[in-house]
Amino acid sequence: MSNEKTPKTIKRFNKGFIVAHWVNAIAFFTLYISALPMYTEFFDWLYVVFGGPAGARLVHRIAAVAFMLPLFIMIIFDFKGFKNWMKNIFSWKKHDLMFFPQFLREFFGLKAKVPKQDFFNAGEKINSWLMIVTTLMLISSGLVMWFPAFFPSAVLWWAYPIHNIGLGLAVAVAVGHIYMSLVTARPSMRGITKGDVTEEYAKDHHGRWYDELQEEKQQRKQA
Amino acid sequence: MADYIKFVDVTKCDGCRACMVACKNWNDLPAQPEEFTGSIQSHNTLTANTWNVITYDEQVTANGNFEWLFRHKSCHHCGEAFCEKACPETAISHTKFGSVVVDADKCVGCGYCVNNCQFGVIQLATYVDDKGKEYRKAQKCDLCTGRLEEGLRPACVTSCHTNCLVYDEKEKVLAEAEKRLAKIKERFPNANIYNPPGIKGTTTVYLLADKPTVYGLPEDPKVALSQIVWKDYAQPLGKMMLGATTMAVIGAAISTAINKGKGEHEGGQDHE
Ligand code: SF4
Ligand code: SF4
Ligand code: SF4
Repeated sequence: MSNEKTPKTIKRFNKGFIVAHWVNAIAFFTLYISALPMYTEFFDWLYVVFGGPAGARLVHRIAAVAFMLPLFIMIIFDFKGFKNWMKNIFSWKKHDLMFFPQFLREFFGLKAKVPKQDFFNAGEKINSWLMIVTTLMLISSGLVMWFPAFFPSAVLWWAYPIHNIGLGLAVAVAVGHIYMSLVTARPSMRGITKGDVTEEYAKDHHGRWYDELQEEKQQRKQA
Repeated sequence: MADYIKFVDVTKCDGCRACMVACKNWNDLPAQPEEFTGSIQSHNTLTANTWNVITYDEQVTANGNFEWLFRHKSCHHCGEAFCEKACPETAISHTKFGSVVVDADKCVGCGYCVNNCQFGVIQLATYVDDKGKEYRKAQKCDLCTGRLEEGLRPACVTSCHTNCLVYDEKEKVLAEAEKRLAKIKERFPNANIYNPPGIKGTTTVYLLADKPTVYGLPEDPKVALSQIVWKDYAQPLGKMMLGATTMAVIGAAISTAINKGKGEHEGGQDHE
């Protein structure tokens, strides 16, 4: 925090993190759309959009490569942010567990008192985990399906159901995540687009992070 | 209609390859010359345009002699067909003849079936359309279903001069197969009838002169656990999950609206 006066907004994400997030989002969406006509006849018209099944396959493979990049983008361009994310999602304390019952009340429009949260709140932590697990499922099984010649048949046969299950879970996670960001925590969108959030939002939604920042500032002043 | 099957008694095969020619001929499949690889077997294995191959396996007999093991290799027409289960487009189906056929109009050439057939039968053919674009279709032996519909026997069967290939009523054929098996046991102690129960039998049944593995066939093929997980659990569950997610989102939106509405009457400040 270079600004010594109380700033109106607080830096939340670096460019690296933001780019990684959106590459992931766009790649996922493209993968989903290019695979959709295979799952139900209802979406067969999408084949036409892609110029036939072969076109859809090509798009799917290009997007697949993009889908594998975010981890590297994050590590190379925003290692600090990556470390912070990792540290956060491995830390589970009482305030994290208390988050869920309160959050459910809030989700359905009831009065709720959500305990102060970390940089990533418990919901975001769960979302991160589900996303990591489903991404690993999709990438590993996808690679096997892409290069079947390199794998024994038993592995190959498992790749298909794993890709399928990974997809189902990933879509549920994505829908939940998008819904959350659009409806219940709109100001957070600014964090993952512009990189900063209002102080008020930080205080309300990520109290423990906000406190940490204040403490740091305090210490710096004293020093 | 009584059930009919195609029966292959490999011990009667003399390796003449007439069935290979008949199949190409009837199904209008282009010839596929292959490099000579040191084997007298004509083609390495089945391809999208070669629906049957006589495989030649060299073997040393118990008394030190050498002999060929021939096998008319083509689609087994599995009772529980992996290719059919794997197809995301439902392009593969069973006919009333018990044959497993590919609907070329529905096939998108994804190759799921190719990777899931335990017998390495079904393969992709590449075509080029009028605009020069490439596309792929899965192809394999269809048991000459078109001929069966006309009351004819499969082309390969009619071409067979040793009676190695027959097409007849299932009960009758299987009974004769048992008799034949008893007869050849002395010469081929490992002989067996290959009609795997783990995949609910097949419509092309073999009498093999040796263990299935000698011919590169799985000893006891079963519907793979991965297939069961995929078809019976993952897919319905996936649909349910999508449904549940949608319902949760809609439910939340409605109940939020209702509760917010109440809040406003109580003098609420929360408008967004
Ligand atoms: S042998 Fe292979 S291609 Fe033929 S029906 Fe069985 S699974 Fe399908
Ligand atoms: S290649 Fe064709 S027949 Fe085979 S699984 Fe894909 S759509 Fe089905
Ligand atoms: S049944 Fe017909 S398609 Fe199948 S191998 Fe014989 S001739 Fe070919």
